[in-house]
Amino acid sequence: MSKVLDNKCPGCGAPIHFKPKLGIFKCDYCEGEYTAEQLKDMEKINKEEVDTTNYVNYNCPDCGAEIITDENTAATFCVYCGNTSIIKNRLSGEFAPSKIIPFKMEKQKAIEAFKRLRKGRPLTPKTFTSENNIEKIQGVYIPFWLYEVDVDGTIEATATRVKSWSSGDTHYTKTDYYNVVRTGTMSYHRVPVDGSTRFANDMMNTIEPFDYSKLIDYNHAYLSGFLAEKYDVNKKDAFKDAETRTLNSTKEEMLNSMHGYSSKTIRKNKLESKEKNVEYALLPVWMVNVKYNNEYYLFAMNGESGKFIGNIPIDKKKTILISIISFAVSFLICVAISYIIFNMGGAA
Amino acid sequence: MKRVKQLIVITLCLLLNITTVFASTKTIERTEENEYGVNKHWNITNSNKQNIKKTPYVNANEKVYDYADILSEEEEKEVYEKINKFIKETHIDMVFVSIDMPYYNDKQNEDYAADFYDYNDFGIDFEHYSGILLLRNKYSSDPYFDMYTFGDAQLYFNQTRYDDILDTIYEYFYQDNNYPKGLEIFINKCKKYYDSGYASNYKYSYIDENGYIHQNYHVPYLACGIGASVITLITMLILVRKNKMVRKAITANEYLDKGSIKYTQSMDQFVRSHTTHYTVSSSSGGGSHGGSSGGGHSSGGGRHG
Repeated sequence: MSKVLDNKCPGCGAPIHFKPKLGIFKCDYCEGEYTAEQLKDMEKINKEEVDTTNYVNYNCPDCGAEIITDENTAATFCVYCGNTSIIKNRLSGEFAPSKIIPFKMEKQKAIEAFKRLRKGRPLTPKTFTSENNIEKIQGVYIPFWLYEVDVDGTIEATATRVKSWSSGDTHYTKTDYYNVVRTGTMSYHRVPVDGSTRFANDMMNTIEPFDYSKLIDYNHAYLSGFLAEKYDVNKKDAFKDAETRTLNSTKEEMLNSMHGYSSKTIRKNKLESKEKNVEYALLPVWMVNVKYNNEYYLFAMNGESGKFIGNIPIDKKKTILISIISFAVSFLICVAISYIIFNMGGAA
Repeated sequence: MKRVKQLIVITLCLLLNITTVFASTKTIERTEENEYGVNKHWNITNSNKQNIKKTPYVNANEKVYDYADILSEEEEKEVYEKINKFIKETHIDMVFVSIDMPYYNDKQNEDYAADFYDYNDFGIDFEHYSGILLLRNKYSSDPYFDMYTFGDAQLYFNQTRYDDILDTIYEYFYQDNNYPKGLEIFINKCKKYYDSGYASNYKYSYIDENGYIHQNYHVPYLACGIGASVITLITMLILVRKNKMVRKAITANEYLDKGSIKYTQSMDQFVRSHTTHYTVSSSSGGGSHGGSSGGGHSSGGGRHG
């Protein structure tokens, strides 16, 4: 029997795989590493508590092999025949996506984007972007909630206008104080919120925006060749993120509409965010796992726009060298500026 | 040759008058023959000739010129000796002048002091006519005193030092309280600052042949070091930020439908106004000023009382 999923990571609950090269089990998501014995021990402990994991046996529709997945995987591969296996009940009913943006970028684009990471980033270790460091690249359809949001309310602020002038030896500064009020409404269109706890929200925020003109009605056929997840954060909980972001933007927009002031201090903020509509969509992301100096790094590429993001390690030696060069050059520039100012001001 | 002739004239005058070497108020007439008594390298022009003629031509060795008669002979002698000691130790000339002259502004006192020093032989043997002149004007409506520095002596005094000296002697000069004591403190303070070296803001300065202060360029190491550190820090933060790309979104600006923005109330109400002011000091203290001779000098700013 072949198992797509053998275990759950004790650290984060994501599927954990055996790495033949390393001879250990490694989690691709939290990068935790465990020996078989450690996993067994932890499994025993977990069983004594409550085992909340729902393992699902699933038969490949093409070759009949048994596949085991976790409860959130909606599409995966059969390791025998290589065909995409879609668990339809995880993409139907309440889990049925209404929209999907198909992958536009191919795997090779993600590799090329990774290799280009050093460009314009001098602190990146020289060998980090070698293709050999890529352990795994996987195209994943990630569940997103897309909210239509209306925000209305009032912002009251104390604003100032400052005017300065001189008369003879006396310098005057006049500050005018204003009570500024803005009441109004504005709408936000398809604010995306990641519906899966498996992927870090800040990472999913950073690969935004997705081109919604490419958004089409959901069709199973687009999942072929890719992994897919179903949401495990319901739309009510996920709305909190959309609410925070839209309230902040509305506050910013209202403050920007207060023109010609030197300073603005909010006195009263009575804004309210309302969910007008929500769509459940699968959006394409390439996940790239990189191993460098025995550390694991996770990168993501927007499968539609090609935007590639992640945190790149910093080379300490390069950092010290560039700091020294920067200081030396800056010092010389400061000396040159002081000399120019000295000569412009005259020697007297 | 010119200088030798002048010295002979002065010596003869002194012998004829049988004056003491200190505390004289005797003056010598300025004539074309003695080249108006100007032995320094100033150009005599039509514009400054009147100033020269108006300026008392005195024996520069006397050092104490008590025209207002505020010191007894004994006191003049004591002050003279202390001044001479100061001059020997510092190679900076020192002059005390008391007058009783009506004036409308401080500049008139300054012009008098500058001309008195420039058109007599004070500091003639020292670098750029280096010297200090303390002027006391006893004008009853507005008594005044100030110190003036010439040549290299200017570099030993900045505004802080001027203020310290003038404020310290104020109580002795005020209402003619105790001039001998005030002058003694004045001389001691000048000596103290001479011993301390050039004032902090003149450490890299020099005096030109006309007695004006100029700055030499020097690398401001501390300022450049701080500037370079700040630039380096900002540069490194930008570079590190380039590597740390993952950031949590806190706004949704790109999803805002600009056409949907509707304001039902937009009020900008004036509440109150507040005006503050401060006066920029235009004190004449410190820095080189020009006299009618064309030579530079500095002054302490003066005190009334």
